[in-house]
Amino acid sequence: MMKETNAGDAQALSANAVERRVERDAFQEGWRASASTIPAVLAWGIVSGMAMVKSGMTLWQSVAMTLTVYAGSAQFAILPLLAVHTPLLVIFLTAMIVNLRFVIFSAAVAPHFAHLPWYQRLWYGYFNGDISMAFFPQRFPVQTVHQPAGKLGYFKAICFPGWFAWQVGAIIGILLASQIPESWNIGFAGTLALIAVTIPMIVNRAALVGVVVSGSVAVVAIGLPYRLGLLLAVLVGISAAMLVDKMIDKEKE
Amino acid sequence: MNAFDVWVSIVLLTLSTVITRCSFFLFGHAVKLPPKLQHALAYAPAAAMAAIIMPDLLSSGSVVELNWASPKLLAGIGGSVFFLVTRHLLGTIIVGMTLFTVLRLVL
Repeated sequence: MMKETNAGDAQALSANAVERRVERDAFQEGWRASASTIPAVLAWGIVSGMAMVKSGMTLWQSVAMTLTVYAGSAQFAILPLLAVHTPLLVIFLTAMIVNLRFVIFSAAVAPHFAHLPWYQRLWYGYFNGDISMAFFPQRFPVQTVHQPAGKLGYFKAICFPGWFAWQVGAIIGILLASQIPESWNIGFAGTLALIAVTIPMIVNRAALVGVVVSGSVAVVAIGLPYRLGLLLAVLVGISAAMLVDKMIDKEKE
Repeated sequence: MNAFDVWVSIVLLTLSTVITRCSFFLFGHAVKLPPKLQHALAYAPAAAMAAIIMPDLLSSGSVVELNWASPKLLAGIGGSVFFLVTRHLLGTIIVGMTLFTVLRLVL
């Protein structure tokens, strides 16, 4: 009896060891795949740190924002709004719209972690940003949903180092910001980063029309109060993109 | 900039990050988005980005300046072309900022 239990323990122990081994290998694989993005993440972090301070936020506000919000595009988007006293509701809605892509990312990645308890899903979900979306679905396609082996290790490797690089960059940027003259217009680097993020999102003709229409409406409606032109532009842009899809579908029929 | 507004905005933005990123991690088994909404969601982020980028390239503050000799506009176009050719994020920032600075001093 005693012997059997020991044997069972030993088996469980070795199964555990194997699992740990698999996750560790997966972590190394994920790190090798995504390490090349670290310098860009660090640089973009620096730009975000500078942009926050340059827009008029204090050191502690900037540090709090980068550590908790951790969403560069949304931060860049609302900084100019904050500077001109935009209502908080519009700021929140703007952040939600810019972040909407994360809902789609979440729908793509979350099923792979459905076996975890809710607090772990909440924790890992928080890190599921642009970088993890660029790597995870490629490595683990939809068919692998019910095979959890290696996924957590891989996911941690493509998320945690990036988080760290981003925060180190942001804090360097926050500290350096006061050394840089206003006329350098360092916040423009944020706009350039947004351009580089947006171009790969233009995946078809409909998306291109959506971008052109939304951008044009935003320029024309720039004078609307509370930056409502932005929300209007997004709604008209989405409608235009969907209309183009509909027209292409009709052509095919 | 009003300190209270900034702190509330930080809380709201954090909420926005958690709500959007964790949505399907927490409620994936319970929610099924209608196909039409999914379709619309797919185009929302790019449209939102464009609505932020274009006014920044074409205006100063809340006044539109349709002027081809604007350093921001030209540097934005230059950066876009560079990204289209190289797909390099960091390089795009460096090239765009360099162009912007040179044009700002020259124009």
